[in-house]
Amino acid sequence: MENVIKDQKELRMEVRESHLCTGCGACVNLCPYQIYYRDQVIEWHPCDIKSGRCYAYCPRTPVNLDVLKAELFEESLLTPEIGAIKGFYVTRAADISIRKGAQHGGTVTALMSLALQERIIDTAIVADKGQGLLSQGVSLNKAADLKNRGKSRFIVSPNIAEFNRQAQVGGKKIGIVVTPCQSLSLAKMRTKPVPTHAERIDQLTLVIGLFCGWALSWEMLSLLLGREGIDVKDIEGMDIPPSKYQLLQVYTMNGTVDIPLDKVDPACVREACRYCTDMTAEFTDISVGSARLPEGWEVAKGWNQVIVRTELGEKLIDLARSKGILEFHDIPEGNLERLKNASISKKRTALERISASRAAVRET
Amino acid sequence: MSKLLEKKIGTSHLLMGNEAIVRGALEAGVNVAAGYPGTPSSEIVESLSKIAKKMGLYVEWSVNEKVSLEVAAAASFANLRALCPMKQNGVNVASDFLLHLALSGIRGGLVLVSCDDPGALSSVNEGESRHFARLLEIPLLEPGNFQEAKDMTKWAFELSEEIKSVVMLRSVTRMSHASGSVMFGPLPETGRKAYFKSDGFILDLETGPVISAPVGYRHPIQQGKIKKVREIFEESPFNTYEGPEISDLLIITSSACTLYSREAIHLLCLADRVGLLKLGTTWPLPPKLLKKYLATTDKILIVEEVLPFLEEHVKVIAAEEAKEIGAKTFYGKNDGTIPMNGELNPDIVVKALSHIMGVPNEPMAPEYEKKAQLVAFTMAPNREQTFCPGCPHRASFWNIHKALQLDNRQGFVCGDIGCYSMAAIPAGFSTIRTLHSMGSGLGVASGFGKLDMFGMNQPVLAVCGDSTFFHAVLPPLVNAIHHQANVTLVVLDNSGTAMTGFQPHPGLNVDAMGDKAPNLDIAEICRVMGANVEIRDPFNLEATQSTLNQLMTESGVKVLILRQVCALSPEKKGKKKFKMQIDKEKCIGTDCGCNRFCTRILRCPGLVWDKDEKKAWIDEVICAGCGICSDVCPSGAIIREEVV
Repeated sequence: MENVIKDQKELRMEVRESHLCTGCGACVNLCPYQIYYRDQVIEWHPCDIKSGRCYAYCPRTPVNLDVLKAELFEESLLTPEIGAIKGFYVTRAADISIRKGAQHGGTVTALMSLALQERIIDTAIVADKGQGLLSQGVSLNKAADLKNRGKSRFIVSPNIAEFNRQAQVGGKKIGIVVTPCQSLSLAKMRTKPVPTHAERIDQLTLVIGLFCGWALSWEMLSLLLGREGIDVKDIEGMDIPPSKYQLLQVYTMNGTVDIPLDKVDPACVREACRYCTDMTAEFTDISVGSARLPEGWEVAKGWNQVIVRTELGEKLIDLARSKGILEFHDIPEGNLERLKNASISKKRTALERISASRAAVRET
Repeated sequence: MSKLLEKKIGTSHLLMGNEAIVRGALEAGVNVAAGYPGTPSSEIVESLSKIAKKMGLYVEWSVNEKVSLEVAAAASFANLRALCPMKQNGVNVASDFLLHLALSGIRGGLVLVSCDDPGALSSVNEGESRHFARLLEIPLLEPGNFQEAKDMTKWAFELSEEIKSVVMLRSVTRMSHASGSVMFGPLPETGRKAYFKSDGFILDLETGPVISAPVGYRHPIQQGKIKKVREIFEESPFNTYEGPEISDLLIITSSACTLYSREAIHLLCLADRVGLLKLGTTWPLPPKLLKKYLATTDKILIVEEVLPFLEEHVKVIAAEEAKEIGAKTFYGKNDGTIPMNGELNPDIVVKALSHIMGVPNEPMAPEYEKKAQLVAFTMAPNREQTFCPGCPHRASFWNIHKALQLDNRQGFVCGDIGCYSMAAIPAGFSTIRTLHSMGSGLGVASGFGKLDMFGMNQPVLAVCGDSTFFHAVLPPLVNAIHHQANVTLVVLDNSGTAMTGFQPHPGLNVDAMGDKAPNLDIAEICRVMGANVEIRDPFNLEATQSTLNQLMTESGVKVLILRQVCALSPEKKGKKKFKMQIDKEKCIGTDCGCNRFCTRILRCPGLVWDKDEKKAWIDEVICAGCGICSDVCPSGAIIREEVV
């Protein structure tokens, strides 16, 4: 299948107006025409270039995923469920202060810090707290600045927009923390589908992915929190414990507020996420998510499960082990299988929704 | 010394139609002039204001046309002579007072000059003031050349005083703005003293109060005046006939159309077959005069602009006299010979005349027209109306458009009349979505701002200029605040009535005669009225846009004043704040990543696309050095350097 690169208007019709925009930021900061504002991509002015990078890099425009994976990973490592697996670990940051400022085990912060310290990268792009619950990508050059940025707000941070901004400057070695959709957009950039400024992607050195079930719509979540009487300013963190709890926990300055998950899903879930087939961020060097341990959630939430996909990923993990940056937990039996099953379940649900919506479109 | 003050009688001068009107008023001994700027009328008050002190006149730019007519009327009530010029839609604004003024009558000569704009060359309508004369029952005069513009104005004062009624003198763009030779008459010493006598009997027109009631008493008097005027008009030297005694076709016309008709007759060599009856007194029409000329022909062509005003009234007379003069064939608007809208020109009249008379008219070979069109389409640069280089409105609408896009709730702008009306087209990023009369942007927005109960959640913006703010925005502002409409008013404050030539307005500390005047602060007015007010410089793109986005999320009436002096203002003209340059290394031109963002989207005439080099360049001759393109360029290729 040949991928036709279309224009801004087609991008709008095929992606944004079809509610498939993930908010990844890939179409932003390439040009002045697209702007990221309050959880949405805004088309400021029309651009009449026929084949745009905006269209080419969007994770929701057509691409053959198998071809893309074969191009970017060792074929022998590929699994149909969760992409390439070079290693699978349960880890946490050895530094307790890193863990405190992180969502779970602090593995991502520890690895990014290590990559900066070892000069594997010179720029780390991570999510930064913006106004309200909104996040934005920020570029950091010092490991110390990475601390306390690991808490999830479940709103997508358009980190690729920040990558595009940094890549314009040139001559960098960039590491970035991404969601699955963002990992796909970077993978598409790596295939250089449009010659203009194609070399910028060569600055991308390290990609660390986050496991992702879905992201929430900023607007809908803000409304929900308002209804629950939570002031956004008081929020210190949020989490969704394993599925048996069916809860969104909001940690505030005045204690934890439990919101039943059925108020969140599907009402507040970003529409585009309902059609996403990737749970483990398959186009990364390393992907990290929450752990499941026999000790139960209270212990498990202090750890991460880690999939290593590339040589660079392996090198970084080995370095972290030898330097004592990460602590390693025994991998409970069946954890990889459970992860694969969860991933397959997300793929199946998304594909069912895609075919159902296609059928609905055909009927109308 | 202004040639308008020339004392030598019988000298001829080249005068613009509006200047001829001014000279006529001076020869009539005018004392007071008040108006509101509006093309094509502005030069009248403008010229008078410059000579006011020398001639002992009082001249003002009033806040709007209704007030200007009230100010002029007061002078008349005090037995002075007063002139009140305005553009066509100004008569609409003044019409409420005018209706009552026609009924109450006047004392000193009072002439309302309306300069109409058929074809809407500098208007957003082609409304006609002629119909007001009939509707409100006042005499109407229309000069057919520049000499008449002067002579008729002078006579209008005399007529006004004779019948004690306001007289309307109507010009059109081509009469007001074209120039011709005018022979001067004497300039009188007026020496009139202002005194308002009102202690007489209530029904006494000379000494009693000036009121429109009792209507049952006053209306017949007013109609009696019109009857008297009709008799006077029968003998008026401003109604002229040229042509054969018995004609194959009679053209009846007035105003600038006289010139077009005369030219058409000449071009088709029909002077011995076609008669030209030019009317200067067009309401009420003199029936005996018309009967006399209608009797000399069987076919009549009426040449006039826009609606069939003359045509219908001539037809009434023809019908009334049909028994004696016989049935006539009429050509004009109703049969489609002459278009019902737009401006006329000699070509249109030639076409009509050639059709009726069966005289072939081929001034150019048909291929010529085709060739000319081809050349125009392929070789002429594609230029549309746009804001001047350095115009604050371009920056303002850049910000407004961006704020609306970011807000993403399909918000829109309600606009009114000013240079900023161009924001309805790509020059202003097509941001204005409703466009009507002065002040109606906020009035309409005030209505939109109450529709949330019907599910409307689009943010509503209104724009107005600083002069417009005083002219007609205050009442809708009161309305919007009182009714808690959700509206953001953006006042585009460029420090003057810029579009018509920087006439002062109440927001400035100077008046029409150049004297110091207390200025009214728009921000303070809005604040005390209860609006949330912010002031920004539109050239500060980021701050303006983010303020707007914030205001749009708030409820009630918010006012954002965007303050930046017009690029053409006398204080700014020629002075550049920044010297602009393009870094050709950095300019990425047509590539993905820019796609000529500056020249294709910002579209400042000072920033030009070099087709050969495929780079932007600054046209230093017209660049006003505002510097905003530097903020707009995504590559930092437009460099600004402060001029010291």
